[in-house]
Amino acid sequence: MIDNGAITVEGIYKVFKKGRSDEVRAVDGISFDIKKGELFGLLGPNGAGKTTLIKCISTLLIPDSGAVRVAGYDIYREPLEVRRHIGVLTGGERSLYWKLNPVENLRYFAALYGVPRKHVGDRIDYLLELMGLTEKAGARVEKLSSGMKQKLSIARVLVHDPPILLVDEPTLGLDPYFARFIRDFVKNELNRKQGKTILLTTHYMDEADELCGRIAFMNRGRIEAMDTPVRLKRSMPQKQVLEIKCQGAIEKEIFDRVPDAAGINITHSDGFVYVRINTDNPEMILSSMIELIQQKTKIFSVRVTAPTLEDVFVDLTGASLRNGK
Amino acid sequence: MWVVVEEVRKSFKILLAYPVEVVFWIFSPLLWVIPLVFQGKALIGALSSTPFGALAGTDEFIPYVLIGAIISTYMFSAIWSMGNSFRDETYYGTLEHILSSPVRPAYILLGKGLYNSILSTSFVIVQLLICVFIFGLEITLVKVFPIFLFLLLLIAGLYGIGFMAAALTLLIKEAHGVLHMFEYVLFLFSPIRYPVEVNPITRAVSVFIPLTYALIALRGLLLDIEFNFWKNSIILLGIDCALLPLGLLIFHYIEKRTKTRGTLADY
Repeated sequence: MIDNGAITVEGIYKVFKKGRSDEVRAVDGISFDIKKGELFGLLGPNGAGKTTLIKCISTLLIPDSGAVRVAGYDIYREPLEVRRHIGVLTGGERSLYWKLNPVENLRYFAALYGVPRKHVGDRIDYLLELMGLTEKAGARVEKLSSGMKQKLSIARVLVHDPPILLVDEPTLGLDPYFARFIRDFVKNELNRKQGKTILLTTHYMDEADELCGRIAFMNRGRIEAMDTPVRLKRSMPQKQVLEIKCQGAIEKEIFDRVPDAAGINITHSDGFVYVRINTDNPEMILSSMIELIQQKTKIFSVRVTAPTLEDVFVDLTGASLRNGK
Repeated sequence: MWVVVEEVRKSFKILLAYPVEVVFWIFSPLLWVIPLVFQGKALIGALSSTPFGALAGTDEFIPYVLIGAIISTYMFSAIWSMGNSFRDETYYGTLEHILSSPVRPAYILLGKGLYNSILSTSFVIVQLLICVFIFGLEITLVKVFPIFLFLLLLIAGLYGIGFMAAALTLLIKEAHGVLHMFEYVLFLFSPIRYPVEVNPITRAVSVFIPLTYALIALRGLLLDIEFNFWKNSIILLGIDCALLPLGLLIFHYIEKRTKTRGTLADY
């Protein structure tokens, strides 16, 4: 048993065969450890290997090599003990029985996790109260909203009161109100108040920045950097970001010949294109950037901001968190 | 064992959310029996036949086929319901959550098997009552204990086949074709519709199928046909002792294989 280590991952590899000769290195020699009570974030684009890693830790996938210990238990030799100490929460709606009501769902999962029968009723009442679902206790899950379903999924994960939570994209597909609720709940109730160790995977940089004490950037199966959000942002060589909001089609390659522009990230949101350029001299490159962009698109606004985690990620990997390219 | 009980409870609650499905399962075995009855009548001009009696031990074609059809409900249930149970969980989105719990999957399958057995038994009782009151089937229910003994021995063996069917579905995901083939093979080599003595190959293969011995015994008990009680029960017990651990072993192997290949929740 390791006293203060909740999760220890040492050099794990997972390669998937695609056809006869092709293979994908989903997890490529990753090592890290998470201390008890820590809220640790794995940040990376879709396909970075985050979910594969979570599956290895939760014993749903057997790594090709490497060691993983959870709550001091080895995933290969003591998988049942590992599962007893973890709760796995995933985003999306389908992790419950829609034809059952919340009480029936929780009773079933309480049995799966070996909660003593005499405590099940009280535990379910407590969890429904905690999640604000008491009034919906008898309604079929299919009648609940997406946010309520996710609240019930959290109650399901907590039914056996696990010390370690693996939380995979918890706000995926939720409206901003419920996404806010889930973030607050994960941070304040589960981590701060209940002291649970949380491994959170997300591709939302704001979510990771707001919630996590430490973050590991994951890309193409590898960890590119790991530190606190503040230190990661400070580590960026360029201390400022020039952001240009425009509309129209724009290619990254047109900026190749702009001096003093390091990482360039182009994202799309609400019908607009956002071009973010990491730089030490926004004033120096401003005119050339505007000239280049105006040839292709219409500019709506220009501003200089501090780097975000996404800017750090782009600087480190050349990839975008949102599309992984 | 609480998890097994909860698995049964959950499965029934989900089933009752689809009432039309319940009606289908009660009547479908009877619906495919009726054409056989008509076919028999058309072929031999009556519902009893001496050559049939020489092979089956009874001249009466209808009771023979009806009991075969009703008892084969257990076989359908083992192959389809247990075979597809993890596929259903994948469809619900709950498979990974079940398999990341500290319960061994065998207990989940056992719960699903128990649910199917209870369901099948209730259907069998309804079907037998329909046969008695509508088709005039004459059965002797004085030997209730031996009937349940043979049903238990049959169900245990079919659980082994159910574990294998579940493993197969976990492995190849869309297993409908293979499960159909599995079902047809069991139909071909078990005395469900006809005595397997009709052909030397069916007779030779049928000795490995638990349904053969269960049908001989249950027809013997329900229709008062002479049979060897001890021989059939001991052979059935022996087949159970082989099939159950073999089914579990195969399921465990396939589960590990899918966890290695990362195809556990694919479907």
